[in-house]
Amino acid sequence: MTTAVPAAGFAGLMLGLAGSIVLAVMGLRAQRHPDAVRRRQLQAGVWCMLTGAVVAMVALEVALLSDNFAVSYVAETHSRATPLMFTVTSAWAALDGSLVLWALILAGYTAVVSRQVRGTADRLGTGALGVLGLVAAFFFGLIALAANPFTILADPPADGPGPNPILADHLMVAFHPPMLYLGFVGFTVPFAFAMSALLLREGGVDWLRRTRRSNLVAWSFLTGGVVLGAWWSYEVLGWGGYWAWDPVENAAFIPWLVATAFIHSAVVQVRRGMLQSWNFVLVLATFSLTILGTFLTRSSVVASVHSFSQSPIGPALLTFFVLVVAGGFALIVLRAERVASLTRPESLASREGVFLVNNLLLSLFAFVVLLGTTYPILVEALTGQQVSVGRPFFDRMAVPLSFALLLAMGVGPVTPYRQATASVMWVRLRLPLLAAAVGMAVTVLAGVRSPGVVAVVGIGIGIAASSARQLVVTAPSRTPAGILRLVRGQRGYWGGQLAHLGVALAAVVIAVSGGLAERATVTLDRGQSADFASYSVTFAVSEQHPQPDRLVTDAHILLRSGGEVVRIAEPRLNSFPSQPQAVGNPSVWSTPGQDIYVSLGSLTPDRVTLNLFRYPLMMWLWVAGGLMMVGGAWALSGRRRRDTSPTAPTRQITTVG
Amino acid sequence: MTVTGRMTPRAVSTAVALSITVLLALTAVLLVTAVRPIPDRVQDLSERLRCPVCKSVSVAESPSETATAMRQVVADQVAGGRTDAEVVDYFRARYGDWVLLDPPTAGATLAVWLVPAIAAALGVLVVLTRTRRRRDAPTPELPAPADRLVDSAVARARADLDDREDGL
Repeated sequence: MTTAVPAAGFAGLMLGLAGSIVLAVMGLRAQRHPDAVRRRQLQAGVWCMLTGAVVAMVALEVALLSDNFAVSYVAETHSRATPLMFTVTSAWAALDGSLVLWALILAGYTAVVSRQVRGTADRLGTGALGVLGLVAAFFFGLIALAANPFTILADPPADGPGPNPILADHLMVAFHPPMLYLGFVGFTVPFAFAMSALLLREGGVDWLRRTRRSNLVAWSFLTGGVVLGAWWSYEVLGWGGYWAWDPVENAAFIPWLVATAFIHSAVVQVRRGMLQSWNFVLVLATFSLTILGTFLTRSSVVASVHSFSQSPIGPALLTFFVLVVAGGFALIVLRAERVASLTRPESLASREGVFLVNNLLLSLFAFVVLLGTTYPILVEALTGQQVSVGRPFFDRMAVPLSFALLLAMGVGPVTPYRQATASVMWVRLRLPLLAAAVGMAVTVLAGVRSPGVVAVVGIGIGIAASSARQLVVTAPSRTPAGILRLVRGQRGYWGGQLAHLGVALAAVVIAVSGGLAERATVTLDRGQSADFASYSVTFAVSEQHPQPDRLVTDAHILLRSGGEVVRIAEPRLNSFPSQPQAVGNPSVWSTPGQDIYVSLGSLTPDRVTLNLFRYPLMMWLWVAGGLMMVGGAWALSGRRRRDTSPTAPTRQITTVG
Repeated sequence: MTVTGRMTPRAVSTAVALSITVLLALTAVLLVTAVRPIPDRVQDLSERLRCPVCKSVSVAESPSETATAMRQVVADQVAGGRTDAEVVDYFRARYGDWVLLDPPTAGATLAVWLVPAIAAALGVLVVLTRTRRRRDAPTPELPAPADRLVDSAVARARADLDDREDGL
């Protein structure tokens, strides 16, 4: 039994590898010679991939749950005392297992794509399956050769060290990594279709239409993954913030920016036939940046909570990244004539013009974050000198870019295509502008004196007002039913508007919670009190709670308002037998108006040092992330576009009415 | 639009423009004349120094003991009348350039400031040339029958708005 499970897992990996190689060869062959390959052969490859990945994942879970310490992965990341939930999540809480999850998700996406490829006559589809097979072959091979979790130990230990304490502490470990991976891996699908279209020497919007869904699915999950990651870091790490511009956060944020640019530029191509080659560049950039991000976070090039250990997968991932970029760009250049756009925007003052500005800003943003993230690595590699690029740099770059993006977001959705005149724009924007001006004046009168906060609040209100005006003006009737009909009819547009609202809300919360934050560090003896943000803070007692896998030491901090205890904050320290340093957990008291964040600086039974933070509106940041996800989901919901033949638009026009 | 019985569209427009101007002016005046709190130099300086024992976090943010000690040093030096540059140089001498989260605009980190500026300039240039070039070429007019066809199709499409498949 001790060896059967890892053997099955490894067999699963091998089956997946074989299946993906078959799919790669057959898929690419089917694209060249549609008659030489049958659809069932392709499907057999896909099924092998999916079955293999499922078997590997299940074997990993079984090994973890049955305390099978003969398996290397279990011996490294598990201990008998680990609670059940964190045993389950351990399957992706370390390097090897996280790659198995990656392969599983990739196999899942491939299976979905293969369902849509109805025959080998669909050369775009078979080619995309071939590319997906190639990528999957790389990942299965990588796991089997360089990150095999199923190595059988000749001399199994009696117990293991358990998972990384930070990854065994919060429910979020069950959601953030899978969601992030669903996003990351999902971008393989648009990439595969784009490469297939290039191999076919076929530009056009076919590949864009067919990947719109997967693109939006991936984007929504990536958004959720990034926001959940920020939330997790805020709730657990205890430094009082949610975003540190850490290389790992950036590694997820850069593809998100490029993918967002791609979603917008795809609209321009579908609507106006512009930016064709640019879309190929963006989709290639998105995919390769997910690989680069995985390389940065998983290869210990940068030290972080996500980089697990020294491992040979770093060079492999870097090589794959270089191959993808070089191969992809070579293909784009070779097909340059076929994919050149025939039309250009007539004026910057038009919807497509604003889309162009949006793309410029998002690409610049992504580039700047990428530069800041990799710069210290590059400098050290070239000169051996150690430098840092941190929050001050990123903030200084992100603030103006974000302001410009917010402005474009307010103007763009109501700008007409082709050519916008000043009078049309004034009619459409005067009410939102009025709302923004009222909002800014009210904010200032309410006592806010930070120009940045006031400006962001104004723009946020303007964006919301512009959406609301558009909703009322374009609805067939000004009743709830009429508005619902509009929102259900134009799901893409209104899903986008919902996501925009989420972004605007996020911007307001980021500005307000940062600009109006209060912070203090206090040291209290037992029974002593201090004042913080209209509360009286008292250190009541410190207690120890032994748990199977750790010793929890907490401090009971009473928050009094007007003499009454309104909250008992219990920040804690977790000591693990295998870890020299205790891990602190803050106590976060979230209300719609504000968060009170209490984290431990130091703790003895009679004396505590507390870092206290008050963040107004903080909770709404997570709501904003949810809004963005719902917007993405709304945009891709509804009827499926069955017809994908190039003649479809013509026929649609003739059948309308 | 919201045209009331008494006001012409032009009057509404003027009223809105006037209100916006007045409100923005009010906001600007209040912001400019606001008494700003004296900046917390200890906090600002701590935010620019990297915590040596943490991950990508500044001395101001880290709860670790090393960071607490460094914050104390910063506070002592500020209280002792040292300038920002002197405090930064003090830590730089001990930990090297690595300790500066805010990369200086000189030496090895000059490029990290220059490259984004160059990229932005290039990007703006590309966007401008891509839109300007076409202005010279006149848009070909459709022949009258085709134009009428388009018009009627547009009218029908507008009438039947919610039959339209997702507008992306």
